[in-house]
Amino acid sequence: MRVTLRWLADFVDIPTDDPKAVADRLESLGHEVESIEPLGAHFTDVVVGRVTEIAAHPDADKVRVCQVDVGGSTSEIICGAWNFEAGALVPVAVPGAVLPGGFEITERTIRGVTSHGMICSGADLGLSDESEGILVLDDSFEIGRSFAEQLPLPDAVFDVAITPNRPDCMSVYGLARELAASYDLPLREVAPDIDTETEAPLTVRLEDPEGCPRYVARQVNGVTAAESPLWLQMRLRAAGVRPISNLVDATNYVLMELGHPTHAFDTDRLGDTIVVRRPTPEERMTTLDGQERALAASDLVIADAQRSIALAGLMGGADTEVDDSTSAVTIEAAYFDAPTVLFMSKRIGLRSEASARFERGVDPNLARLAADRVAELLVSIAGGEVGGIVDAYPAPIEPRHIDLELAEIPRVLGLDLEAAVIADYLRRLGFAVEAGSSLDVGVPTRRPDVTRPIDLVEEIARLHGYDEFPDRVAFGTGGGIGIEERRSRRLRETLVGAGFHEAMTFSFIGEDDLNRLGLPADDVRRDGIAVVNPLHAEEGVMRTTLLPGLLKAAAYNAARQVDDIALFETGKTFMSGGDVIPDQPDVVAFVTVGGEPATWQGPARSFDVFDAVGTWELIARSMRLDDVAIEQADIPPFHPERGARILHRGVTIGAVGEIHPAVAERFGIQGRVTAAEVELASVLADPGLWSFAAPSPFPPAVFDLAFEVPDGSSTKSVLDVVRAADDVEDVHVFDVFRGGSIA
Amino acid sequence: MAESDALTSLVTDAGRAIDAAATLDELSDVESTLMGKESAIAAARRGLKDLPADERRDAGRAINEVAETITESIRERRLVLSAAEQDAALAADRVDITQPARVPRRGTHHLVSEVLDEIIDIFASIGYRVARGPEAETDYYNFTALNIPQTHPARLETDTLYLDYRGVGEERTAGDERYPLAHAPNEVLLRTHTSPMQARYMEANDPPVHIVVPGRVFRNEALDPTHSPVFHQVEGLAVDDGITFADLKGTLAYFARQFFGPKQEVRFLPNHFPFTEPSAEMHVSCFSCGGSGCRICSQTGWIEMLGCGMVHPAVLEHVGYDPATVTGFAFGIGADRFAMVRHGITDLRHFFESDLRVLRQFS
Repeated sequence: MRVTLRWLADFVDIPTDDPKAVADRLESLGHEVESIEPLGAHFTDVVVGRVTEIAAHPDADKVRVCQVDVGGSTSEIICGAWNFEAGALVPVAVPGAVLPGGFEITERTIRGVTSHGMICSGADLGLSDESEGILVLDDSFEIGRSFAEQLPLPDAVFDVAITPNRPDCMSVYGLARELAASYDLPLREVAPDIDTETEAPLTVRLEDPEGCPRYVARQVNGVTAAESPLWLQMRLRAAGVRPISNLVDATNYVLMELGHPTHAFDTDRLGDTIVVRRPTPEERMTTLDGQERALAASDLVIADAQRSIALAGLMGGADTEVDDSTSAVTIEAAYFDAPTVLFMSKRIGLRSEASARFERGVDPNLARLAADRVAELLVSIAGGEVGGIVDAYPAPIEPRHIDLELAEIPRVLGLDLEAAVIADYLRRLGFAVEAGSSLDVGVPTRRPDVTRPIDLVEEIARLHGYDEFPDRVAFGTGGGIGIEERRSRRLRETLVGAGFHEAMTFSFIGEDDLNRLGLPADDVRRDGIAVVNPLHAEEGVMRTTLLPGLLKAAAYNAARQVDDIALFETGKTFMSGGDVIPDQPDVVAFVTVGGEPATWQGPARSFDVFDAVGTWELIARSMRLDDVAIEQADIPPFHPERGARILHRGVTIGAVGEIHPAVAERFGIQGRVTAAEVELASVLADPGLWSFAAPSPFPPAVFDLAFEVPDGSSTKSVLDVVRAADDVEDVHVFDVFRGGSIA
Repeated sequence: MAESDALTSLVTDAGRAIDAAATLDELSDVESTLMGKESAIAAARRGLKDLPADERRDAGRAINEVAETITESIRERRLVLSAAEQDAALAADRVDITQPARVPRRGTHHLVSEVLDEIIDIFASIGYRVARGPEAETDYYNFTALNIPQTHPARLETDTLYLDYRGVGEERTAGDERYPLAHAPNEVLLRTHTSPMQARYMEANDPPVHIVVPGRVFRNEALDPTHSPVFHQVEGLAVDDGITFADLKGTLAYFARQFFGPKQEVRFLPNHFPFTEPSAEMHVSCFSCGGSGCRICSQTGWIEMLGCGMVHPAVLEHVGYDPATVTGFAFGIGADRFAMVRHGITDLRHFFESDLRVLRQFS
């Protein structure tokens, strides 16, 4: 929401002209000011002149020679624009003037005629972006006087972020009300000077009073489409709205000023009936952006007797749009059901300044005032006279009443405020307050966010100022970091201590990642849960394994010449099978590529399967897991001959080994890749207490033993035999020899 | 007389020989020459028995004195020589200690992990318990239970990623009949904040509640320097008899000073969150410029830190608490943003690219 300081000052006498101070005040009320832009006249020596005479240039047919009264004297000025006639008031840059960008005006002779200055366009003066010919001024400007002095400048534009609960503040008037309440100053009333209460020759039928509880149609006849006056254009531009014509600008101006959207129909293109209804099956309409749109049963439309003429609260139709030939307008100011506009806007994929307000909830009781304000403005800038009105409002919406116990204030805010102070805060914000043992508070219908006592407590806290409340630390009742949390930290610290860097990869993967892993069709990891509205196709499935993310991360680093890649991640995977939500087991995975580089002390060493198994054994030891084992097995995406499943207490909890070379290649990685992936539930569970074993008082006896076993026997099977012997404390494999004969 | 002269010259000669020994081995040789069986001393001792009895005693004493003197000289010389040999051995063992050492391999914790742990530790130290919840969550817990019904305007600001998931035997429950496009409460989505755990925890536990909930959250936002579809929050919740806005302010100010430094100023500005009322945003004075305005704080002197507020009575009602007897406060901290602000990281993408040139800095 963009508002200017001067526009706010139309409604409240702000006690400072320092924009920063006003911005701070707005922020203290909960309206974040994202930027403050100063507005000023970036030109000098431009005066208002009247063109008294226009003649052709004797030697040039694209320009004209104008006599311009610049106050007491007449200047001869050559002008190439043709959008004005003799009698027009225009801004004139006199010789010596400097225009935006440092452009200096001097006397210039063009084909024998000397031009004593320049007649300016809005763009020349930095007042508009596009040049639409000379800026023709209205009669309120004084000839001969500085143009800058007669502009509403300097000013400042605030870009204010309005929270979604405050549709009432999506307007200049709404923010002025907040400032008035905060400064404790009066807020000027908006009271359009209109006394015509005759009924307009229109029938308004509300076929869906829940979708549209109120519809006001106010007519203005005899208008002339033209450019809006400069001050109005300047305000619209400051608010971020492009001026179009006075007929459209008037509705946009009131939208920004009061926050109530209105729409102007060309009365002559509108029938004598307005119906607010749900669309008929298969109904289509063309909106004023020229698009033909299919309508849905949940939409809400404005129609005449034959066809739809507008999408309620969202956009008008092309058929009834006002244009330069329009001479009579019918102004719609309605109140539409917020969710109806919200879902229609979402369904169609279209948002407008109007829908942004309707979907949050506008004030049903502001509709008539808004229509009248547009009518008043139209008469003043487009001529004509105010016509009749129809106000269809079968069930007026009354202000809500809330009973506020005064004890709620200290109970929630921790500070006791006097009843009179509380009532004053609420009254300043426009609430009706009846004091008693509790406060009976009438809530203005512009405040859909205030529905229960706590909402009033917030209003009181806001006006009192959050920084005025005391501070106190709320100590908890203990518990702290539980066993699983501590073990999770130990797990991460173990891996970090072993040389692994912790990565955080996204929780989504692509269907293609599962293909690259070479998982068989019946693998549960293939049954990934799809994201309904993914950002990219390659992020379309929730991860069932952390390996694709880590393999991609490894490939990313390998492509950047990192030759000792060791990454790990802990996080959730997402598996089908949960009752209401997916099963989300926590998993740890690690990946290595490359190895330890050569140093002056020794040659390079590549990581292989034994690094991976060793890392897992380190984890198992560090986590004090009892009864862990590995079993050589072919488990995709691991190497069929260099992989193993990991068992804990006889249950498979993961796999470890080298990644299948074909898988590594599909992920774009050269060389051996080692990895492991383990479910954490049993790893992080409390392993219980361990028992101390006193060291033997006797010195150890060390034996070197050699066993000859058939090829294919596992080392583990030999070690199991040795370990089973009595009093064996430790077994260490110091050599492995394969082939030939030992003897 | 002659005997005594001979002994004196023996001592003198021995002293010379001992001093001349340049190594411990040479000294051992000298020692056996001077003191061994073939030595002059040994010979003199052997000659004692040939002396008359009245001289034997004095002569023996004289020989012993000489022997002691020589032995002492050898001992002293041995100390000197062994010290010198040790020095030589050490000198030969010299290395260039600036050659690259054998550094045990060590990785790094992710910065966001560290920040999450740090935040948890600060709250654990004042008695808060850690709770964790699911990332794939129901629409009910993510929105409805937090006072964000299907037609709430706050939903507009929440671009949610939904999952194509039906629980075992689950039918889509009816949404709001009037608004057929609204989501149903049992639809499954990726939680947009850690706040659903507020409702889950309170449903399972009676007050008092003092928890922090760290975790991963999701939004339908493309990855760019300041946005990510995946990021991390720490939710906090305190519910008890007599908790007020003052507790919220004091507790969060304590946290800010623990995290950013003891001299930080904090301020609270009104804001809006559907599940808190009153709601606030906490700002901390810029730790880079101290409040005078700089690039990090966009010249404001303040840095937005977190959203917070008093728990909305509707949230308490949803979990079966009585809002007339208990009150509470809640807050949500963006851990990734904290990490960025504190360490001068200007691009959020660094956290998720797993670039080792980045990760290695996170020591």
